[in-house]
Amino acid sequence: MPDLYYVPGSAPCRAVLLTARALNINLNLKLVDLHHGEHLKPEYLKLNPQHTVPTLVDDGFSIWESRAIITYLVNKYAKGNPLYPEDPKARALVDQRLYFDIGTLYQKFSDYFYPQVFGGAPADKEKFTGVENALKLLDTFLEGQKYCAGNNLTVADLSLIASVSSLEASDVNFLKYPNIKRWYETVKSTAPGYEEANGKGLQAFKELVKNMMKK
Amino acid sequence: MSPKLYHFPISGPSRGALLAARSIGVPIEIEIVDLFKKEQLKESFLKINPQHCIPTLDDDGFVMWESRAIASYLADKYGKDDQLYPKDLKRRALVNQRLYFDSSSLYVKIRAICFPIIFLGVTEIQQNLKDDLNSTLGFLDQFLSESKWVAGDNVTIADTSIYASLSSILAVGWDISKFPNILRWVQQCESLPGFAENEEGAKAFGEAVKKNLKQ
Repeated sequence: MPDLYYVPGSAPCRAVLLTARALNINLNLKLVDLHHGEHLKPEYLKLNPQHTVPTLVDDGFSIWESRAIITYLVNKYAKGNPLYPEDPKARALVDQRLYFDIGTLYQKFSDYFYPQVFGGAPADKEKFTGVENALKLLDTFLEGQKYCAGNNLTVADLSLIASVSSLEASDVNFLKYPNIKRWYETVKSTAPGYEEANGKGLQAFKELVKNMMKK
Repeated sequence: MSPKLYHFPISGPSRGALLAARSIGVPIEIEIVDLFKKEQLKESFLKINPQHCIPTLDDDGFVMWESRAIASYLADKYGKDDQLYPKDLKRRALVNQRLYFDSSSLYVKIRAICFPIIFLGVTEIQQNLKDDLNSTLGFLDQFLSESKWVAGDNVTIADTSIYASLSSILAVGWDISKFPNILRWVQQCESLPGFAENEEGAKAFGEAVKKNLKQ
């Protein structure tokens, strides 16, 4: 059984949990105490010199970056599963959405929100606009299709839902975008084990945000 | 018909897709989209890519974007063998991890320094941004201490992507003398097909930054 080093509130960690649930893979969950610097200890640095979570260790093979992990899990444990299609064009579209998530949507959100949560910075209007622009793009991608890379649930939806749901902890109203609203409800009700894999961790993230913002 | 790449040589990701294509050996038809003239916002371009980003690939009517997704697609579809994007699951996961490292760390930190200088009237590089990039370069140096290329002992699309990003900041004159493994690898990259073409674009990028920097 692969080990997953994770923290419940982290969106990228939740994307891995969602994928594991969708593939029916059991993971040996290992909580990493970032607060006490567990990720900077030599034994963790040996697994992942970049000391990020999530990190997956599968039979001695250590890999990090959530989107590299989730595509690895499908390739290894469920080859041919529509969650990560094998047809080159369909796969290219899923990859494109994964890069949209890491490079645009989650990036813009982190850039806007995390300095407020972890650095006590005031909200930056321009960065807020950056998040809105990313959401507009997602809304456009979802026009006329059920999921973000076509009419099947894919790992791109699981990665994006982990990111987008995190916006619930912020003042960004992503549900005003009609396609996003519809997609959000659809993924919540069709991603296997959504509540356990994402809902619980999202709650932990919201509480963390509340506590940090109080300080 | 050759795949067509909508390209702007100054853009690092755009050069990354092209550099990958050069190693793959697939003939590419290039159409320049001049971001400085905002050509990406023309109606005709928005029609094919609502995210209006460069690079965008049109492979016989199949349109996609995100440079690293393009590199993966081209390698899978047109690669003579799987060396540049291995089919072996672990090696592929490692390449993907490095591609996501570029997408969310290295390229982002280079952009954070250069974008405000090129477009927003900033004339100095803030110390915290400098430190941020150097700490990311520390990770890259560490990856390269373990293998000849960034994702193992063969060239992969992770090298072409990361080199395209790095060459931009090298052209600004970034000091990498503290990173011996990066120095060694940069020399190796001179053997990549399309190296000179990439340097030309990187040089133009470097000049666009340097002309706005206070000396």
